[in-house]
Amino acid sequence: MFIQIEPNSEQPIYAQLTNQLIIAIANGNLKSGELLPSVRSLAADLSINMHTVNKAYHALEDKGIIQIIPKSGAVIKAFKIELNKEDAIRLKESFSPLVAEAIILGLGKDELHTLISSILSDYKGGR
Amino acid sequence: MSFLIFMCTIGIFVILQSAIPYLLHKNNVFGVTIPEGFTTDSTILFYKRLYTRIMVFLGIISLFAFVIMNYTNPLSEQQIVAVGLAIMFGLLSLNMILYLIFHLKTAKRKRNEQWIVGLKQLKVANLSSHQTDDLLPTYFFLLPMFITAVVVGYTALQYEMIPSQVPYHWGISGEADAFTTKSLFSVHIMSLLLLITQIMFLFFNFFIKRSGIKLSATKSKLSQIQQAASRKYTSWLLFFISILMTALFTFFQLTTIHGNLATSGFMLTIPIIFLTLILLSTILYAFKVGQKGSRFRTTINEELVDGITDADEDRFWKAGVLYVNRNDPSMFVEKRFGVGWTINFARPLAYLIVFGPVLLILLLTFYL
Repeated sequence: MFIQIEPNSEQPIYAQLTNQLIIAIANGNLKSGELLPSVRSLAADLSINMHTVNKAYHALEDKGIIQIIPKSGAVIKAFKIELNKEDAIRLKESFSPLVAEAIILGLGKDELHTLISSILSDYKGGR
Repeated sequence: MSFLIFMCTIGIFVILQSAIPYLLHKNNVFGVTIPEGFTTDSTILFYKRLYTRIMVFLGIISLFAFVIMNYTNPLSEQQIVAVGLAIMFGLLSLNMILYLIFHLKTAKRKRNEQWIVGLKQLKVANLSSHQTDDLLPTYFFLLPMFITAVVVGYTALQYEMIPSQVPYHWGISGEADAFTTKSLFSVHIMSLLLLITQIMFLFFNFFIKRSGIKLSATKSKLSQIQQAASRKYTSWLLFFISILMTALFTFFQLTTIHGNLATSGFMLTIPIIFLTLILLSTILYAFKVGQKGSRFRTTINEELVDGITDADEDRFWKAGVLYVNRNDPSMFVEKRFGVGWTINFARPLAYLIVFGPVLLILLLTFYL
């Protein structure tokens, strides 16, 4: 399972890493129960600071997507069966600005639905 | 005899150093990263050819001069060693200067042509690459240490048999040429030196295993296979050399205990066999595996993606040879100019692993 980081991108490296892992999990490339390499190991492979990888892992753990095992790495947790309240609020907060931006830039409501559907079809997991 | 050995050593050194541009990954030219697509630039190829030709030329001249010197006016053993060493160091220095000249020229060309500009730089890693890593288990490196323990035990048992003058250095002809007075400690000097070396090799294997597996953004699958081969055969080579050193030191220790073993023919051939095996195995590694496994042949189909290149790490490689990267937790990384591994000079522990044993050995020999 290859992941790539763009060091010169405006997006911080830890955010790129977090997103790549989330996408890989949603795609089914990383299955629940599978182990992620240790922070040190991944940092060495990518030649990036351990704190950056640590930040990405902790971000995912806070969201409840992975469970960090000290010194060993992390294990990927199963998809949640039901969306809980905090996650729902957080997701809405993340979506709102993007949807607003789409509306301003001329994306119609139907086009927005189609866009979401096409993105959803990329992801095998979930209900 | 020492003349022949010097000739061979100088010859092999020149061959290896001259061949370096062709043993390396083509993205690595004189310590500078050349992005995909520009590796066949005519100026860069010219630099590589010129370096090789100059090295070969210098080598031939040195060897020729050495031969002439020895045959017109046969030199004494001491003179041969002096001249031989002078030539070696001379060639080494010239090689370093030559490398630096071409390093600067290559860096300048890359800058002037702006090859990096416009390409998206990427770092790639495989989340499961350490699971498929195939180095020898580090506990393998304990095996030679057991042999050392046996030697220590045997030496202790045979303490009375050992002569009052214990050798601790052997010259180029295989004869012992430096002695120390026998004591309960001094009889084990060679075993101790061997143990220090064995421990060092164990740490090398351990830390290389934990070092990062650096993949290429443009050829991820190929570099994955080549990296795996490079790491695996590095581990095998380390183990092989540890075993060979064990055999050599054990042999010398046995000649110390059983003086009659030390016939001059035997004393000469054993070190030569040792030297030959080491040289052959390292040459085999250099030519079959190469830097980052670039010479490791494999069939894999991989589509080349346009517009991307590996993240430029030139700034972490001082003069293209010293790796200093505080962000990288790796202790060891593969060399840029040459085949083999070097330390991350930003890691204090790496200094300890490499220079610690050297200091210990120096202390021991001064104690004598």
